[in-house]
Amino acid sequence: MNHHAWLAALTGELRRHGVGPDLTGHVVAEAATHLRESGEPPLRVFGPPEAYARAVADSLGGPDLRPPRRQPGPVRLAAQGVTKRYRGRTVLDRVDLTVRAGEIAAVVGANGAGKSTFLRICAGMLSPDAGTVRVHGTLGYCPQDGGTAEFLDPDEHFVLVGAGRGLDRGAARRSGRAGAAALDWAPPAGTQTRHLSGGTRQKLNLVLAGLGEPDVLLLDEPYQGFDRGTYLDFWHEVWRWRDAGKAIVVVTHLLNQLDRVDIVLDLTTPGERRA
Amino acid sequence: MTKILVVAESALRELLRRRSVLLILLLLPLAFYLSRRGDYLGQSIRFVCLGLGWALSTAALFAGSAARGMEPRLRLSGYGSLHLVLGRLLALWTVGVLLSAPYFVLILVDQHDVRYGAIALIMALTVAVAAPFGLLLSAVLPRELEGTLVLLTVVGLQMVMNPANNITRALPFWFSREIGTYAIDHTDGGYLSRGLTQGVAVAVTLTVLVAVAGAVRLRQRRHLRFA
Repeated sequence: MNHHAWLAALTGELRRHGVGPDLTGHVVAEAATHLRESGEPPLRVFGPPEAYARAVADSLGGPDLRPPRRQPGPVRLAAQGVTKRYRGRTVLDRVDLTVRAGEIAAVVGANGAGKSTFLRICAGMLSPDAGTVRVHGTLGYCPQDGGTAEFLDPDEHFVLVGAGRGLDRGAARRSGRAGAAALDWAPPAGTQTRHLSGGTRQKLNLVLAGLGEPDVLLLDEPYQGFDRGTYLDFWHEVWRWRDAGKAIVVVTHLLNQLDRVDIVLDLTTPGERRA
Repeated sequence: MTKILVVAESALRELLRRRSVLLILLLLPLAFYLSRRGDYLGQSIRFVCLGLGWALSTAALFAGSAARGMEPRLRLSGYGSLHLVLGRLLALWTVGVLLSAPYFVLILVDQHDVRYGAIALIMALTVAVAAPFGLLLSAVLPRELEGTLVLLTVVGLQMVMNPANNITRALPFWFSREIGTYAIDHTDGGYLSRGLTQGVAVAVTLTVLVAVAGAVRLRQRRHLRFA
């Protein structure tokens, strides 16, 4: 089944499952983007259209069984007036974002809107031309790609990152494996990262970001290469972090989850939005 | 100290798992040694030391480049830049010692009437200099090809330039020729002290520069404040 046929079938199935036309449009557009960028066959990435549509409908429209959310806590991340220019072009123009403990902020926008740049500035990896970022607590960061060592296995990553957080070897391994289990992944002992698939590397990346229970999590499109089940597991993990009182910032272009976040920061300029 | 040791252990694991690279590293000084083995034994000792320096510098250059993607994350996870630099240096120095040991044994067996202690000193200084030299290149030149070309230039100059020329003292491995002359030609102690002074000074300077480069690259940016 080629991309077009699969996307057409998905459109029909979503409608059949009672998903509204706007949301259907978003889901199909995001699936198309993912397929185009990954180049992988849709059946391998998402499974049959009917099953994927059912999963989407369940995740969006089913009863929300999560425990009631607590009131947001104190401010954990406050970005004010963040401005960044590249070669005379303003990518970020006086961007503000405040995230409290127990809140999820989604950073959305078109390609090149500065989503990753904003997150790298929040993580302190890039200096802005203007603006400040104040973090109350510790910071965990999951990059879009990279961030792992090719010749180390997952347990060795847990020990390495865990030592920075003050965890001993045993605690780091246990914590890492627990985080992996939440994504339905049992890291194979002795398998070096270079032998893991792209999606599995991203699982490792995500687990490393949460290791040591940082107060603020910055996640830059961490679901690249995730299959459908892992994608849903990822959001459940994000919600679990929120319920544990963490402040989370997720860069995303998958708009179908925006009703499950607390804050949306849209970096698309008004001109681009109209276009 | 625990953090430095964990970084060193991880870096050592990464290096030791690159088996083909290790094999080339091990054979490169041998090629240098054998290239002058037939005509002038003393020269083969100088060459093997330069080969060791080149091999370890190259390994350090690539190790430094490979670590770039991971280091910002480690910095955020609670490591200081000095933990990362010292841990990686410790791993590279360990590899350098392991790399040098068989060549020292080879010289013990194959060469006679030379000062073995001085040769051991050349190898120790070579290891001490080569690791921070390669790491510094990886910090200054983010692309590996450029770093490799600079390494090639330095070692090439080291081989062809007249060691008596003052300007060659600026080359990082100048001490190996100077102490080598003391060890092989049994010259006076002036060669030893000049070589030792230059070698220690270069090793300390390069180590400090690598630490400074790491601190600058992985600094906490001014716009970010932790409360």
